[in-house]
Amino acid sequence: MELQIEDIANVRLIHIEGRIDHTTVQSFQDLLLPRLTDCTGETKKALLDLSGVSYMISGGWRVLVLAVRQCQRQQGEMVLAALSPFLQKIYPMTHFDTVFKVFATIPAALEHLSPTAASLYSGAE
Amino acid sequence: MSPMTTIILPARIDSLPRGLALVVEWATAAGFLPQRVMEIELAVEEALANICLYAYPDSRGEVEVRCMQDETRHFSIELIDSGIPFDMLARPAPDFTGDAAQRPIGGLGIPLIRALMDNATYHREGAQNILRLTALLPL
Repeated sequence: MELQIEDIANVRLIHIEGRIDHTTVQSFQDLLLPRLTDCTGETKKALLDLSGVSYMISGGWRVLVLAVRQCQRQQGEMVLAALSPFLQKIYPMTHFDTVFKVFATIPAALEHLSPTAASLYSGAE
Repeated sequence: MSPMTTIILPARIDSLPRGLALVVEWATAAGFLPQRVMEIELAVEEALANICLYAYPDSRGEVEVRCMQDETRHFSIELIDSGIPFDMLARPAPDFTGDAAQRPIGGLGIPLIRALMDNATYHREGAQNILRLTALLPL
């Protein structure tokens, strides 16, 4: 699994790619959490693009909860977007709808986080 | 129901890829669509990880992954270990109703197993734990 990171205005867009299973979940946590330390207040908001996550175990959801709580402690905001078909199937089973804000597309999430970033975004999707 | 195939592995987390590869191979051959195969893989991964982590608290041991299919569209995976009596299905589900900020973040594996499989049963037979996860083949 890997992360690709784009900073667009005051939004950090983190694309997560690959399988998150027991062999990769610790790397996922180790890669993701340090990328959120400066996501505070209005200066930097975090947007996780999950369209490339083909498979994810419960431990991957745990990492996402740790991430969103870290941002909340910093008075920051983190949202999820573009869940892959696999994650769309699993997400309702997690009962995490009160924990995460989830958007169908990257542009929709950017509109919510920062109109400036939304106007600058030129992603393919 | 007769066994189709079985593999015996050390009950360790690094055995997971080998056991899961077998399940994916047989579920695909049985006729499940790719998305359903991944759902079955996820349920088995959660269960197998629990066994590797908790079945043998003070020793090393083995876990058997047995795939089988009967004539009535039932595709089952049995996970068999000789560890301490351990019914993971009896563990209480996390409280999904409380304050989201307070909710414990673990314990999601078992609810996922229940939601993903068409049936999940546990029984103790002699010195063995036998967890059976069943998925119904589409018509």
